[in-house]
Amino acid sequence: MPDLAQLQTELVQSLLSGRFGALETDVLIGPITAAEAFSVHRNTALGGLVNALRLTCPTVHALVGAAFFDQAALAFIEDAPPASAWLTGYGAGFAGFLAAYAFAADLPYLADVARLDAAIEAAGCAAVGRDGLELDLGEALLTLDASLRVLSLRYPAAAIRDAIEAGDDAALAAIDLTPASHALALWRRPDGAATRPLGRLPAAFLAAIVDGCDIEAVLATAQPDDLAALQSDVFAAPFARIIAKPKENAP
Amino acid sequence: MTVQIIPVGSRDDVAPARAIPNQAGIGLRLPHHGFVRAERPDVAWLEAHPENYMTAGLADELAAFADRYPISLHAVGLSLGSACGLDPEHLLRLRELERRVRPGLMSDHLSWSLAATSAGPLALPDLLPLPYTEEALAVVVANVDRAQAVLNRPLLVENPSTYLQFAASTLSEAEFMGALVRATGCGVLLDVNNIHVSAMNQGADPRLALDGYLTAIPHAAIGEIHLAGHAVRSLPGGRLLRIDDHGSRVAPEVWALYEAAIAALGPRPTLIEWDTDIPAFAVLQGEAAIAQRLLDAALAPEPAHA
Repeated sequence: MPDLAQLQTELVQSLLSGRFGALETDVLIGPITAAEAFSVHRNTALGGLVNALRLTCPTVHALVGAAFFDQAALAFIEDAPPASAWLTGYGAGFAGFLAAYAFAADLPYLADVARLDAAIEAAGCAAVGRDGLELDLGEALLTLDASLRVLSLRYPAAAIRDAIEAGDDAALAAIDLTPASHALALWRRPDGAATRPLGRLPAAFLAAIVDGCDIEAVLATAQPDDLAALQSDVFAAPFARIIAKPKENAP
Repeated sequence: MTVQIIPVGSRDDVAPARAIPNQAGIGLRLPHHGFVRAERPDVAWLEAHPENYMTAGLADELAAFADRYPISLHAVGLSLGSACGLDPEHLLRLRELERRVRPGLMSDHLSWSLAATSAGPLALPDLLPLPYTEEALAVVVANVDRAQAVLNRPLLVENPSTYLQFAASTLSEAEFMGALVRATGCGVLLDVNNIHVSAMNQGADPRLALDGYLTAIPHAAIGEIHLAGHAVRSLPGGRLLRIDDHGSRVAPEVWALYEAAIAALGPRPTLIEWDTDIPAFAVLQGEAAIAQRLLDAALAPEPAHA
């Protein structure tokens, strides 16, 4: 038998590939054959990973069905097996895989749906009601929820997810899948993750805050209608608080 | 991989752990959070998999449960048997959660899930078997020592369900665990269902297997018992494969083994685990009530003889 490190390397690679070769000779003959025993471990390991992806991407699973999902998930797992026992966030890479997955070429929106699913899971894992980034507005301070993320998509993944969750096939069929700009705010509420569509300027404004980019440059592109959207989508949004700064007394 | 041990400082700055009583507890799973939060069911203690609570929001939820119930943290991802060592980031995440929740007990398994490959570390979500050799013992001892140093507390190590035995093994599983206890000062989480599953899969007598554990391991080191259901699959030739799927009620043979264990050990904190096809919480409470009756009977004085 190889040393322990080599045995473990060979076994994890064999569990992924399903080819055990010489490892079977390292096992005592008993009531359960080596192949049957390895099969139990392979089913547990791969089943656990597929299930983790299914929990992360429920909308993708509902859209494509179990057979397609499992096939895609197994291909992803073989391509990018986890490096850690902590699987939270493992599904975040699934979207990028689906974008290049040949069997999903006719479903160009699928990767964006996976991105939204993963972002909702991430927001749902965030703490509730914690203050995050702040922006000094001069006479007031804008404080954003620490869980806030901005997601920019090319396809209407939120509409697809809503229709799937509602079981509304008619609404799903009516969604315009023409590529366009679809931006969303995601954050954590006490009852779970929340999403809110964002207009062009609010999305760019929030993304600039989150990414630490030039906010003045974003505001310089504003049109009159954009400013009203900024008020409703950002300053009055449930993920934001504006607190007036105390005025200093004149000398 | 190496772990940088960071001193945890004074333990006076955090709330003391709530001890896990010698009573029946229930494994807390996400589908039951709402029920437990709203109904505050009468349960002696709860056990959670820390890997499910390593995000800010879920750590907050578990900490809130810890305000109401004694909590045990039962890890599945330390990979104590990995020859490549422990994942330092995972260990530190576990320490952070431990300091937040202040569990009465912490445990993981005598198994591994992480290996080094030419492409980097590879982790599979399973409890993979070890050959019981002196080489493997040295690896597990080093990893348990390191985990206990970083966590600044003893661990309980659980006997796994096994489906195969490596030809290179020179120790029995019970002897291996006894040696581990002596070398590290760790405790043992005795999973009675796993003893039954492993023995049956290896064509051995579960009761003799239990006796082997009770002989090889100091009784004082056995700090917790696990009970769960298992699946039975038919194989060609009339053979049966038992799979530790935690998806059903505790089997009658396992209850009998449990009675024998607590008759020898005395009462121990005993957990009902249920991880697949999770039923209503009341079903778990029913299983816990059976365990509690057996624990109470183990405490009752022997009737006087005429």
